[in-house]
Amino acid sequence: MDVIGPSYSPLPSGKELLKALRREGLSGMELLKAHSDIVDKWLKHCFDRIPEQQRSGIALVALGGYGRRDLFPFSDIDIMILYKEGARGWIEEACEYVFYPLWDSKREVGHSARTIKECIGEAERDFFLLVSFLDARFIAGDKALFQSFRTEIDKSLIKGKQKEFSENCLLHRKRRLEQYGSHTYLLEPNIKDGRGGIRDLHSILWTAKVLFGVKGIRDLGGAGVFTEKECLDIETAYNDLVRTRNWLHMVSSRRNDQLSFEYQLEISRLLGFTANVGTLAVEEFMKGVHRALSTIGSGTDLFFEYVQDQLSPHKGCKESKVLEPGIEVLNGKIVVDDIARIKDSPLLIMKVFYYSAIEGVPLHLRTKKIIRQAATLIDEPFRSSKEVSRWFQDAIIMARDPGKLLFTMYLETDILTRYIPEFLHVKALAQYDAYHVNTVDMHLIQTVQEIGFLKSTEGRLFKAIPFVNVLYLAALFHDIGKGYGTSHCKKGGRLAESISKRMGLPPDQRETLRFLIENHLFLADSAVRRDLEDEDFILRCARRIKAPDRLTMLYLLTVADSKATGPNAWNDWKGALVQDLYLKIAHLIEHTHVLDPDRIRAVNWMKEELRRILKDIDPDELNLPEDYLLAFTPEAIKQHLRLKGRLRTQPVILIPEDKGSCWSLLFMAKDRTGLLSRIFGVLALENIQVLAAQIFTLKDGTVVDTLDVIPTVKRDFSEMDWNRLEKGLEKAVAGRLGLPHRLAEKYRPLMGTPGPSSLIGGRSEVTIDNEVSNFYTVIDIVADPKIGLLYSVTRTMAEFGINIYRAMVATMGDRNTLSFYCLDGYGQKILDEELLDELKRAILYATECVS
Amino acid sequence: MKKIEAIIKPFKLDDVKEALNEIDIKGMTISEVKGYGRQKGHKEIYRGAEYVVDFIPKVKLEIVVDASQVEQVITKIKDAAYTGKIGDGKIFVLPIEEAVRVRTGERGRDAI
Repeated sequence: MDVIGPSYSPLPSGKELLKALRREGLSGMELLKAHSDIVDKWLKHCFDRIPEQQRSGIALVALGGYGRRDLFPFSDIDIMILYKEGARGWIEEACEYVFYPLWDSKREVGHSARTIKECIGEAERDFFLLVSFLDARFIAGDKALFQSFRTEIDKSLIKGKQKEFSENCLLHRKRRLEQYGSHTYLLEPNIKDGRGGIRDLHSILWTAKVLFGVKGIRDLGGAGVFTEKECLDIETAYNDLVRTRNWLHMVSSRRNDQLSFEYQLEISRLLGFTANVGTLAVEEFMKGVHRALSTIGSGTDLFFEYVQDQLSPHKGCKESKVLEPGIEVLNGKIVVDDIARIKDSPLLIMKVFYYSAIEGVPLHLRTKKIIRQAATLIDEPFRSSKEVSRWFQDAIIMARDPGKLLFTMYLETDILTRYIPEFLHVKALAQYDAYHVNTVDMHLIQTVQEIGFLKSTEGRLFKAIPFVNVLYLAALFHDIGKGYGTSHCKKGGRLAESISKRMGLPPDQRETLRFLIENHLFLADSAVRRDLEDEDFILRCARRIKAPDRLTMLYLLTVADSKATGPNAWNDWKGALVQDLYLKIAHLIEHTHVLDPDRIRAVNWMKEELRRILKDIDPDELNLPEDYLLAFTPEAIKQHLRLKGRLRTQPVILIPEDKGSCWSLLFMAKDRTGLLSRIFGVLALENIQVLAAQIFTLKDGTVVDTLDVIPTVKRDFSEMDWNRLEKGLEKAVAGRLGLPHRLAEKYRPLMGTPGPSSLIGGRSEVTIDNEVSNFYTVIDIVADPKIGLLYSVTRTMAEFGINIYRAMVATMGDRNTLSFYCLDGYGQKILDEELLDELKRAILYATECVS
Repeated sequence: MKKIEAIIKPFKLDDVKEALNEIDIKGMTISEVKGYGRQKGHKEIYRGAEYVVDFIPKVKLEIVVDASQVEQVITKIKDAAYTGKIGDGKIFVLPIEEAVRVRTGERGRDAI
């Protein structure tokens, strides 16, 4: 195509040019080269317009990406006017002929004018300038001048400084990755500056050029760094990235190298990707991108390792520790002498990693190569070898940095996918949600790394775990069921079951592993979505998890998983909620009686029965406290639920029943502070003694009390005026009955005497316990039965603003035992030491002196 | 215009969002916050390790509405966020001077 009109016509935008070129059927690298050629031609034209005499001693030079002819739609056009000292007089004017039209075309331009001496001076101080000179390309003008620029650069900045150069290259790479992401598996990768990006390949090429004088990727095969196949893989990966970056510039209409979600969708559509079973089209596309990034990323690692090895001062001298014949630690690296050794005994593959972990040193580059070549030797007997399994598990448990070890095992040597073929399915698998920043495979490896960190920060919790290996394996496999289109927790559990069976784990460990994987989201989800103050919910959690060590493992897995997911998934806020949930379950799970299978069976039976007889009401939705369920028959509960409706119009419900040896009273009302004391007060006033009582508060604030009572003045059940009692209760509940003075008047004759019943004087005991229940302060009282005892005690508690949620009264021998589950006026446990002490003394007094 | 700031228990967020949806409140800003009021932080000891929680995690919602809607919004939030226990949260109402929709430049009620 010809875009060169008259000299004053501006250079079209890169986007326009590439669109036109694409229509001509060009793609990938060809597009960049053609784009660069058009710009060359246009610039030459501008250059030619410089008057003849001002053109002498000047050369137009392309630098950097433009020098390499890699001109993406929105790349900078990086040019330099190189001039001889003698041309200084007119250089400014000459520059105007080139730069002005470019600026007028609204292109991003990198511009400069330098003499050779200036070039060398500046490049000595500026590494980026130096590498851009490595890619310098002559466009127009004084060719001899350009040649001597090349020679001078080589002579002054390269020769004899190769080592310094490659170290600089490596240092800049390190800084670049710190800024743009040091993983190739970020879900929104920067495909130029991130790990495995286009810049990584450039750094290989610069260094290779300087050290070995090679020009292109393919020449690296000849230089002995990579195999032919590796060169080809890297080249293919590079072309993939070029194609993607081209489109990225096009769709974002600016120089943008961050492949964010919105652009991924658009580009995958433009490239014609289609959905697969369990994966989206865009996931297929991103798999390719990640594969490319990871090929170049690992290639770059290996390349620089090779370079460092070549330039190492240690080369030749040896500091060796032999681990077994043919395997040693040499200059701080694990070295295997020959692939033949591995071929003789393939199990050594895993042992090498075990050595690496226990010695705390990485594998040498050549050893990685040997292992990679030997990866195909991994077969079924290898996978089911108990020895291999032990080495593998010990390696990840003992490694100082298990993430790094697995990374070598996975990407650098391909051992992990050979050993655990299930891993292949999640290789480079992207995940589209607001939380994850890594592909699934890398997320799994990072979770193991996080477990490694937790081992030092949460050492105490680790000590309580009998099989730490199971925790590590759970971290490594927890998301392995992703990408199958079904619940990944269930699927992952099944996969882990078969993997661990193959690895020879005993049944109890397999069961725990499966449990952890199936439930790995449970704590994190529940912590934000459920009411952690709901005792029954915590109870259900405890039953689901069953044992303290499983809970601790699940907690550590949750923390590691969340931390490895990304900054949006974990912060102090979420951490506090998950920890709260963990501690609540932990306290409960150690009270073994709640996990008693008989109790669980009984609760389930009750629920089933209720479901049957209630028909249209689901007992689960009523959220009835377990103790309440276990205290009544299904029919009784049905009656309570029916009566409850009447409380809308009627303040109290009283249903007496004759039980022969005693009377049973069912009492219902809406809860309020002091309710219980008023009931007990009225009963005392009516000459009724409470033998036993069960008091429950339902979730909606309905109080259900059942009281076993006997009259203190002999009377028949039928003679009792129940109506009067109900009226009395109603009045008292409404606060219209002065109980203290009435009781005082009634019992004045008995004041100071043991009362009408025969009493054995004994000291009362009051214990206040905050350990028994995670949710309530429990006050236990043992006292002699006295007239008005219950009234006195509960009234004292009401005076402290304490609410009673559950209470039991029983008569043991000839003493009363009372048990109250209570919270303070704000609904919190009573923890203040001073208050507890005061409360205890007040209750003691109340039991002694009945007023 | 008024801004309604509500501090609620985290697990109540969905309920509150749903309740506000019912009265056609479509936009709100949510943040994860920590703090304390009457419900103080606490200290727990488990297996010899001490776990201290100074600030309790809550969710903060911010909604800007026309003054006429304030009572309705308060009622919805109050009902949906209620558990009856301590720490259910608080609702604050603040005056708003001006609102501007960045994209269109619309102002006042049109912008909320």
